Amino acid sequence: MAASKKSGGPRDMLESMYSVIALVFILVACVELCDAAAVVDVYRLIQYDMSGSPFGSRLASLNHHAASLHFPPGADLSRTVLIIPLRELNITFVREYINQKKPLGGLLFLLPEVFSFENGGNKQIHEKEKMKNVLAELEQLLIHANIPYPVYFAFENDEIETVLADIKKNDAIGQPATATTGGYKLVIPTPEPKKVASPTITNIQGWLAGLKADGEANQLPTIAIVASYDTFGVAPALSVGSDSNGSGIVALLEIARLFSLLYSNPKTRGRYNLLFGLTSGGPYNYNGTQKWLRSFDQRLRESIDYAICLNSIGSWDNELWIHVSKPPENAYIKQIFEGFSNVAEELDLKVGLKHKKINISNPRVAWEHEQFSRLRVTAATLSELSVAPDILEGTGGLFDSRQFVNETAIIRGVKLVAESLARHIYGHQGKNVQIFADDSSLAVNPAYVRSWLDLLSQTPRVAPFLSKNDPFVMALKKELVDHTDEVNVQHENLEGMFTFYDSTSARLNIYQVASVTFDLLLLLVLGSYLIVLFSFLVITTRGLDDLISLFRRPPSRKVKTA
Amino acid sequence: MTVFHFFNCAILTFGPHAVYYSATPLSEYDTLGTSVKAALVYLGTALVKLVCLATFLKVSENDGFDPYQELLKALIGFIDVAGLYFALTQLYHRNISQNHKFQAVGLGWAFADSVLHRLAPLWVGARGLEFTWDYILQGLEANANLVLSISLAALGSLMWLRKNKPKTLIPIIYACAGIVATMPSITSYLRRGLGWHFPKVVGFELFTSLVMAFISWQLFSACQRPSA
Repeated sequence: MAASKKSGGPRDMLESMYSVIALVFILVACVELCDAAAVVDVYRLIQYDMSGSPFGSRLASLNHHAASLHFPPGADLSRTVLIIPLRELNITFVREYINQKKPLGGLLFLLPEVFSFENGGNKQIHEKEKMKNVLAELEQLLIHANIPYPVYFAFENDEIETVLADIKKNDAIGQPATATTGGYKLVIPTPEPKKVASPTITNIQGWLAGLKADGEANQLPTIAIVASYDTFGVAPALSVGSDSNGSGIVALLEIARLFSLLYSNPKTRGRYNLLFGLTSGGPYNYNGTQKWLRSFDQRLRESIDYAICLNSIGSWDNELWIHVSKPPENAYIKQIFEGFSNVAEELDLKVGLKHKKINISNPRVAWEHEQFSRLRVTAATLSELSVAPDILEGTGGLFDSRQFVNETAIIRGVKLVAESLARHIYGHQGKNVQIFADDSSLAVNPAYVRSWLDLLSQTPRVAPFLSKNDPFVMALKKELVDHTDEVNVQHENLEGMFTFYDSTSARLNIYQVASVTFDLLLLLVLGSYLIVLFSFLVITTRGLDDLISLFRRPPSRKVKTA
Repeated sequence: MTVFHFFNCAILTFGPHAVYYSATPLSEYDTLGTSVKAALVYLGTALVKLVCLATFLKVSENDGFDPYQELLKALIGFIDVAGLYFALTQLYHRNISQNHKFQAVGLGWAFADSVLHRLAPLWVGARGLEFTWDYILQGLEANANLVLSISLAALGSLMWLRKNKPKTLIPIIYACAGIVATMPSITSYLRRGLGWHFPKVVGFELFTSLVMAFISWQLFSACQRPSA
């Protein structure tokens, strides 16, 4: 009967069906049905070990009462999940809780819907900028802390808003939800997170062969265009990295497409080989790039004229940086930089040169080109960032979503790289010829850029959680197959100091629960009701004396009635 | 904690039946067999009703109140009365007084109804973590249903078993029996035709069951007077 309220239409049927269903249900009494007030998708904070020391959230399963930030001071929160909307986040409060290792049942951060890759819009840009900074700070705090309780992220929606409003009301009255006062219970039934066994990284390379003149004995020189495609973020299931390094991948694919058009015609095929590399393991000191370069044979490696690495070129205004490891006076570096700055001038943007020496003894590799430089291959990274990010920073955090990436910036970046490469290949340095002019058949295709950017902005790409044959990896491979002559996929084990744990996303059940005291009270009421009913029935059917005698001489009852 | 809640709701749903049996002279005359037989008859009736509903009723897509369908449903609901008639008149009962017979039949009837209609939702729902008032209200509804079943059985025994009843009371008896028998249709109308909420419907059921119980009690004692 209780279900009939919800079932509506076929209620009559159901009601009579219950008689039969009842029998079935008695047999399958162990069946547990999920009837939570709300079910929400949640994304867990990353859990990983770095050189053996634990970081991130160390637990996944959750079964605690919920509280808001308005909890009464001095309350014991060791069995309570704090729900913190990002809008109300007080970073010093969280920092204090994490750094002082205060006991907590769990943390649930509510992200505004604008960060969701499904519902993002262009509204509230100002607010978003503010939140971006808060998020970045929070992210760094959570990634580098060892947190002994589950931490989850969820997107705000109507259901969870109502629940939160209710919880806030309770907290304001001064009645925090515990086992005795009822309230909301948050349950995430997941097994203990397991180590990801031997995570693999997959590098994809595409080869576009140049035109070799007849009888030429020497190998053609090669130009490499490289972008690392994987991400690392505070919540692996949300780490889409639209800018870092989605923008780099998009640019690489578009450049590959443009040059495949040029190279498909023998008349315009350049005398350079082009090597496109989509590398993995970027956040982990460009581990994949290192493996990829090691797998080259000596001749190929020596034939590489220079390599251009693309990193975060999706949200700049007017200035890009070329990062190099060799001093700017170096002839090759000079040549690359001049090539870029000439084109940049024509495109009305600025390119700066940044030199950062590499320290062989330091395991940290801040830029992808440093892996090339370590093997004495001339390389440069084109990026909007002026300084090298720290490890696990700027690799696709929560805020690195589609809304913060500017398509036109990517298109301009593509033009810059493609144009300067083409001038180098066809020997037009210093001349004012536009090969990829806007209205020509070789123009950059904005629709192509946009569609790939949209896809990348919806695909979490944390390498340990990408399988060897992940659809995304296959899609990248297929795209390169379309634009290049030869594609190779290289699977390698992610080595180094990192260990990862699974269960990156889960479903959160929110239950409205009654307290134990309520049930105790109910039992009391029911007991007295039954006693009153009993007395009433005895009095009406047998008389008051009978009732009294029942209590006075219980054993004699049988004798009396017989 | 939730098992505790299930336990509470089960007490509310099935407790009154047990209390009724032990508190009234039913237990002294050992009428359990009669109740069990009545429950079995209820099972058979429910099956027949199920078949009839499935045959004659079409599943309406919308949630509205369709008078024709409801009428049909009320008619099918009268199968209950037939079942009760069978239980009261055709079944062999040990030599117990009419007084106890109708009570035993009504009790068995109500208990079987509670078990079939309420035990499964209770088991599935009340053990869950989520708290709703539904199962407590459902327990109250079971109480109302017990009272109504016994009233109907009392009226039935007056109609079919008692020969020398005052002529003036006969129409009243039939009218009351009709009202009690159409009670499921009335509540269904209130809930779906008028859109009452569950608590309000349960309140109405409790109220009417008490009123009907009082009326049938009065009728019963009025009929008993001349014979006594």
